[in-house]
Amino acid sequence: MALIMPACRPTSRPDAGCATIMSTATAPPSLLLPGAVRSESPPWFQELQAAAWAEFKSLPLPARTDETWRYSSLKALSLDGYSTASETSADVRDLVAERALRRRAGRMVFVNDRLTAIDDPDPSLKDRGVVFTSLEEALGTHGELLRKHFMSQPARLGSQKFAALHRALVRAGTFLYVPQGVELPQPFEVFHFVDGENASVFPHTLVIAEPLSKVALVDHFISLDASAPGFACGVNDLIVRDQAKLAYTSVQDWSQAFVSVQINSTLVGRDARAMNLALNFGGRYSRLESVSRLEAEGGRSDMLAVTVAGQDQEFDQRTHQDHLKPNTTSDLLYKNALFDDARTIFSGLIKVEPGAHRTDAYQKVRNLLLSENAEANSLPGLEILADDVRCTHGATSGQIEEEELFYLKSRGIPLPAAQRLIVRGFLNEVLDRLDNPELQEHLRSEVDRHLL
Amino acid sequence: MSAIVIRDLFVSIHKQEIIRGLNLGFKQGEVHAIMGPNGSGKSTLAKVMSGHPDYEVTGGDILLDGESILGLEPDERSRRGIFMAFQYPMEIPGVSNANFLRAALQARLPEGEELEATDFYRRLYEKMDLLEMRREFTARAVNEGFSGGEKKRNEILQLAMLEPRFAVLDETDSGLDIDALRIVAHGVNTLRGPNLGVLLITHYQRLLNYIIPDYVHVMSRGRIVRSGGKDLALELEARGYDWLRADEPQTVNA
Amino acid sequence: MSTSTPSLELDRDIGNFFYDVKSTRDAGTGLTEKTIDYIVDAKAEPDWIRDFRKQALRVFRDKPLPTSWAGDELSAIDFDAIRYYLASGGATKRTWEEVPDDIKRTFERLGIPESERKFLAGVEAQFDSEAVYSNIKKAVSDQGVIFVGSTEGLKNHPEIFRKWFGKVIPTGDNKFSALNSAVFSGGSFIYVPPGVKVKHPLQAYFRINAENFGQFERTLIIADEGAELMYMEGCTAPRFTTATLHSAVVELVALKGAKIQYVTVQNWSPNVFNLVTKRGLAMEEAEIKWIDCNIGSRLTMKYPGVVLKGRKARGEVISIALANDGQHQDTGAKMVHAADETTSNIVSKSISVGKGRATYRGLVHVPKHLKGCKNNTECDALLINSQSRTDTYPAITVRGTGNSTQHEASVSQISAEQIFYMQQRGLSEGQAMSLAVNGFVNDLVRQFPMEYSVELKRLIDLEMEGSVG
Repeated sequence: MALIMPACRPTSRPDAGCATIMSTATAPPSLLLPGAVRSESPPWFQELQAAAWAEFKSLPLPARTDETWRYSSLKALSLDGYSTASETSADVRDLVAERALRRRAGRMVFVNDRLTAIDDPDPSLKDRGVVFTSLEEALGTHGELLRKHFMSQPARLGSQKFAALHRALVRAGTFLYVPQGVELPQPFEVFHFVDGENASVFPHTLVIAEPLSKVALVDHFISLDASAPGFACGVNDLIVRDQAKLAYTSVQDWSQAFVSVQINSTLVGRDARAMNLALNFGGRYSRLESVSRLEAEGGRSDMLAVTVAGQDQEFDQRTHQDHLKPNTTSDLLYKNALFDDARTIFSGLIKVEPGAHRTDAYQKVRNLLLSENAEANSLPGLEILADDVRCTHGATSGQIEEEELFYLKSRGIPLPAAQRLIVRGFLNEVLDRLDNPELQEHLRSEVDRHLL
Repeated sequence: MSAIVIRDLFVSIHKQEIIRGLNLGFKQGEVHAIMGPNGSGKSTLAKVMSGHPDYEVTGGDILLDGESILGLEPDERSRRGIFMAFQYPMEIPGVSNANFLRAALQARLPEGEELEATDFYRRLYEKMDLLEMRREFTARAVNEGFSGGEKKRNEILQLAMLEPRFAVLDETDSGLDIDALRIVAHGVNTLRGPNLGVLLITHYQRLLNYIIPDYVHVMSRGRIVRSGGKDLALELEARGYDWLRADEPQTVNA
Repeated sequence: MSTSTPSLELDRDIGNFFYDVKSTRDAGTGLTEKTIDYIVDAKAEPDWIRDFRKQALRVFRDKPLPTSWAGDELSAIDFDAIRYYLASGGATKRTWEEVPDDIKRTFERLGIPESERKFLAGVEAQFDSEAVYSNIKKAVSDQGVIFVGSTEGLKNHPEIFRKWFGKVIPTGDNKFSALNSAVFSGGSFIYVPPGVKVKHPLQAYFRINAENFGQFERTLIIADEGAELMYMEGCTAPRFTTATLHSAVVELVALKGAKIQYVTVQNWSPNVFNLVTKRGLAMEEAEIKWIDCNIGSRLTMKYPGVVLKGRKARGEVISIALANDGQHQDTGAKMVHAADETTSNIVSKSISVGKGRATYRGLVHVPKHLKGCKNNTECDALLINSQSRTDTYPAITVRGTGNSTQHEASVSQISAEQIFYMQQRGLSEGQAMSLAVNGFVNDLVRQFPMEYSVELKRLIDLEMEGSVG
């Protein structure tokens, strides 16, 4: 039975009584505690976290009958047994070096939701007003901006409960602010590592790209132990103002035993360009909710994903392309390569709101099934409430064509290598849409790493 | 000197017999042309030599230096030096030409040995120049969005890069305009030499004006019905195929 | 080709008339076990049907309304205000002469007897709850083809009827299949013996005449091995201000190598809730094709399906929907692949006019360890006005490496340039619009029998009148 404990105030020391969030009589209690907020957080934030905790507890877990959770394996979502990740002495420098971009605007490294390293960005960036810092720090230095933008968008695709949990327990993440007119040629990169068994983390990313600015950011999510169970509940909010350009990439490489819920919101301003690319590799159950809201005329959002699903992994992808204003464009391409007993769910909706005329919206999901037991579920949706629009969606599921394989074999390439080459080619079509060749190459190697 | 010998070959696809007792032999260094009307089994011969899974060999054998290749997978045949230039080359989305060729060459190296990149590109550019192909072509996906002529040139490029002992060119001239045909033929002629045996499969004599064969064979109803020198092609051009159809098949050992 | 085939009554105004007919049998308003007893007694049905109906009533009460799909629209139905069984006269007649004059004139006005003479192998005419007329050409019945109403089917042919009744669509499939199972009356029972190919279509015509009424016909069609048949249904009702309910269940069984084509052209008046469950079972190498045209009604929820149970079975749904002001066409298709090398094809085209809303819902399921299964789905939506709405919600599950599915959907509108071009050639804007809409559905209209396709085009013209400006 769930216990609602009024004594669990955010500033109070967590005690055993507060520990139960959604345990049942038979299951072990969850060890997640509403105590992540430190007393040094501003009062508004403490209040927000307290309210979020109450909201989290009051909301039910997703049920099979919820349309937003259709086909999902809900049993993965029991949060029993996880505790907030504790401090660790793990050394991640080699791992960072191995996966780092050659050139970057700045870098932060978090281990178990604690900032362990920050590259001081180029001082000239600071002079131009660029802020690249941890959420914790920003609460002190940029409280007003955070207060305005921190999780200003509700979770629209079913994960209200997890959004509340994130809000209540977040303690680490990225705050990136790019002032008007500042263009940064190199991406920022952020690493989130997790260490330990049954640890939970709540990584946060907030990017504000002011008008006419240009910025890119790569988030890495990595488990130090490739088989340790754990839970991640992350949020990334991307705010792209008029005529700004933002390219966001997440590389999700949690352990094979991880449960992950990631909630994205992208707001696109007038004539702005947003690109959101998700590379999904890890996790036993990974849910990705991604919403693009085209809030002003001329905006464009590209939503891309590459998923390599193997073993008994399940990737649960829910997307929403929301066209609120005329002359907006969105283009979604999600590609899944499924091996072993893997399962994918893609449920996407293009919504063209009344009056959002001259909208161009495209949505394409392609599943490549590489084993007998792999299962792909596709729910591509359209809701069109304006007329002068160009909208298409397509969903295909199939396998490598024999003729294609034969062609490669006829050139002397052995079967496994030929398959790998075709799968890589299949996924690379997504990466081809990036306009930064260096990042493209970097991400190709990330994909290759998971195709071996 | 390697040789391929096809002995009393019978081949079916979907239970329908296409090749019915075909005999043919050819050596490295020779250029043989196989001509014949549509449906005579020419393309089937090419497919079965390269090991296409849809084709079933119901009798006979194909020997490479005295050893049967019928039990070999297509990739093993390729690595043993039998190359096929396809009539309809496949498009491989997302796989660049350069990566594709590297993978094919890498597969030919002993385990643990890495392909040397600078050397690879030097050779690649050299062969591309031969075929008048532009540099940006290396980054494009294999055959994707290629014109008919570009696809055929790409086949010859692969032939040049993989350096097989035998090449089967299946209707390489089809769909080519005269300029593309000249470029392709120039490529093949350049590669011609004591180390390469070529089997040209073609419906028309036209290609043979550019690539002069040492021997010409006529195929009809799944067999070789006539063999001769390059003049046979001219005779076919003048008289068509009909006069040969009723002929008794002959066994040829070149 | 005849210039007009009034039987189909696609013209809304011709269908919108009402002759007062006094029902001699009336189960009253509302639905209880007593209603069921009344129906069973009135129809003199066997006890197993009484039990079947009462069980279904319990299922109906337990099941919630599928509001997550069509939203609140369904809550406008007041199940207590509906009359569930209305009939007059005695047994179904075999000749039009025997049909009571007051009913006969309705069907004459709809042109049914005329079409029967022209091109049909058999006709059944249902007036409210019961078939008033049912006849099959002698040449067809001599081949052993059975074409009767459902009541007659269950009484006179129980050995075939009971074997398949409720097997393709179980009572509990959804709330409205349960409702139909509780109170069904009318509809057709057809059996085509092995190898018999019925050359001309069999037709049923469903007429709702009464107000505050629910029509619940139940159709079961069995095509035995190698048999072939085309069945056509047409439906109309007069325009009333209160909600009328039409909730049919149609089950098709195509045994090995059999072919069934089921053609529907509905032209309901805008007060009708049309909530229909249609599904076919296709055995080895059998083919089931639903050709469906949905025009009119306030809300239609209909997703014809095929369960592809035998190797190499084929299923197809061809569907046209036109949603005008105040209407919601919530239609689609289901394809459940349950054997190797089964193929399915769905082509859906919808047109939304004014504030009309057209929704496509699809389900394609290819489970584990099947080989060589293929589905192809195309949905195209055309929006006519700025307040028109269209939705597409497919769900596709594929497992394993031997199967492939492809879904494509597009939304478009008629370009102003197109209209201008046609206007420049002298067509009015409305004519240009009609022409363009007809062009949009043309490839599907051609799949309808010729007699229907002519009428369909004419109906589209009528619907498009006043859609511009």
